[in-house]
Amino acid sequence: MLVKTGIDRLDELLKGGIPAVTNTLLYAPPFIGKETILKNFVSSGLDEGEPVIFVLTDKSFSEMREEMRGVNSNFLDYENEGKVKYIDVYSKGVELQEEGQNVVFVDSPINRERITASIISTEREFSKKYERHRLVFDSISTLIVYSDAKAVFRFLQVVSGTCKRLGATSIFSMTRGMHEEIEVQTIKHLMDGVIEMREEGSRMQIRVQGCGEVVSRNWIDYVLEKDQIKLTGAFRMSRVA
Amino acid sequence: MIETGIPKMDEYLGGGIPEGKSLLFYTSPEVEESNMGIHVLHHNLEKGKNCVYVVSKSSPKQIEQSFREFGWDIKKYEGRLHIVDGYSRLIGAPSDEEYVILEPHDILSYEDVMDEVMETLSENTVFVFDSLSTIMDLCGEREALQGISRINEAIGRKGGVAVYDFTAWPYKESIIYRIKRVFDGIVEINPIVGETLMGQKYTISKVDWGGKEGKSVMFRIYRPGGVKIYIPKIVVMGPFRSGKTTFIKAISQRFTSVDRLGATVAIEHGTVDHGGYRAEIFGIPGQARFSPLVEKLGLSATGIMLVVDSSKREEMGEVSRMLENIRSKNTPYVIVANKQDLPGAMSDYEIKEVIGAGDATIVKTVATEGRGVMEAFLALAEKILEGGDSNVG
Repeated sequence: MLVKTGIDRLDELLKGGIPAVTNTLLYAPPFIGKETILKNFVSSGLDEGEPVIFVLTDKSFSEMREEMRGVNSNFLDYENEGKVKYIDVYSKGVELQEEGQNVVFVDSPINRERITASIISTEREFSKKYERHRLVFDSISTLIVYSDAKAVFRFLQVVSGTCKRLGATSIFSMTRGMHEEIEVQTIKHLMDGVIEMREEGSRMQIRVQGCGEVVSRNWIDYVLEKDQIKLTGAFRMSRVA
Repeated sequence: MIETGIPKMDEYLGGGIPEGKSLLFYTSPEVEESNMGIHVLHHNLEKGKNCVYVVSKSSPKQIEQSFREFGWDIKKYEGRLHIVDGYSRLIGAPSDEEYVILEPHDILSYEDVMDEVMETLSENTVFVFDSLSTIMDLCGEREALQGISRINEAIGRKGGVAVYDFTAWPYKESIIYRIKRVFDGIVEINPIVGETLMGQKYTISKVDWGGKEGKSVMFRIYRPGGVKIYIPKIVVMGPFRSGKTTFIKAISQRFTSVDRLGATVAIEHGTVDHGGYRAEIFGIPGQARFSPLVEKLGLSATGIMLVVDSSKREEMGEVSRMLENIRSKNTPYVIVANKQDLPGAMSDYEIKEVIGAGDATIVKTVATEGRGVMEAFLALAEKILEGGDSNVG
């Protein structure tokens, strides 16, 4: 069973999508389309009837809502149907006066206990009504910056395990350039796959590790367009083979 | 003794936490860890004690909000609640608190501040740390535990009590082993998951001052309200018109009569909130045609109340048969000798004699006036908990 990322040629590269109910690390430097992948992943999930949980450490839930409306015109309807839940780990810390029905606020990225409990209770709610759901965690980097990689590793051990048990297909984002290599390797160990993005001179490239069967594991060129990513690099389509 | 204020826990701890001792709430990562600590803190503030709240994972500004969610007003305790801020410096924010940990990554900084706190505060102060896991993650596991041992000793010398919230992340075995040695008492907190999340349970797993190790109790966290022992299903049965509905109404905060299949089946439902307990009560009609239902509900009951109209001698045969049925199920129960105000009401001894109740607990009530009803409820609640973890799951 595969779930679509919502980015056509990335799904082709993945031979249909990410294996359902797995954990994927999205590892990319800032400003080259990491968020575009996350938002399309959410949007395609909602269109396919899978509800979504956002865990946000770097922006408020209402900012994310606004951005999602730009990607999917039905987004507010989905949210009103109870298919979108936010765990906002940003607003209270910067003392924004935010309020909302579908949000749980956690006051600090150090409060991993509360983040975990909020994720688990939301997932339990979803798993009662839906076979599968999606989870976007943006980003692990903030958690590491506020404490250390070992503590975040333990946290992710618990969270990634629970996500699978309760039917979530999850993407955890991590910012390239912020961490020691050893930290990145440690976190990768907990994941079923990694989608990596990089900037090589003026070219932007993407590559897939793990994530089940894929067409190619090479770096593939892509271009960034408004709310979309277009893979322009060649990889052989082997569906017929 | 310093009480925890958590329902039944003090009893199982042999009265509470003795001065000089430390207690760890060893919490599964699947449930929130801070609830127990804040409950202990609030209970002792209410008791007029001096309390120190050491926060290391969220802003001290959140404390007031957390109190408010539980329905508590933090302003009442001004002058007795002292905050140690182990958070602000972590994120580079200024702090208005009385005591500030200047280097949250260094356990020595905690020790220094705790020394300062203890110099200024009276004896028998209650210290609540929220949380040990954050301190360990920030200061290094081994170093933190060594420092915490020294802090506990210092608190002990001043006759204080130290209580810690702790999330049992997948730490190494050797660390977990060390943690279990450092604290004088350990209470484990775990989720209870059935088809849905039923609640949580606490288990007394270590009490080096002598208590009831191994005791488990199911509870839920209520906002407002705090920690309450949760009893999922008390079934009220008894002959037709023995006063079951009146009884349920008299002990319940909320009451509904659930009609199903038209008028043939009517199950009454009430919620009791009393003495640290929260219980769901179900009443089954007494007529003979409902006996299959009695059978079904009775089987899954956590506890049973058998309500008897004390003035109806002629019904005692039926009561006796019901009692036999209940006993065969091994479910905790109490007999409610209701309508004690009616002429010709039999005494509790007489009823026991006639129905052959042996050493069963019987409580006299007048449900219409609310007399004795809470005593009956508490008697049953006690019986349910006597079975160790019989209210669990």
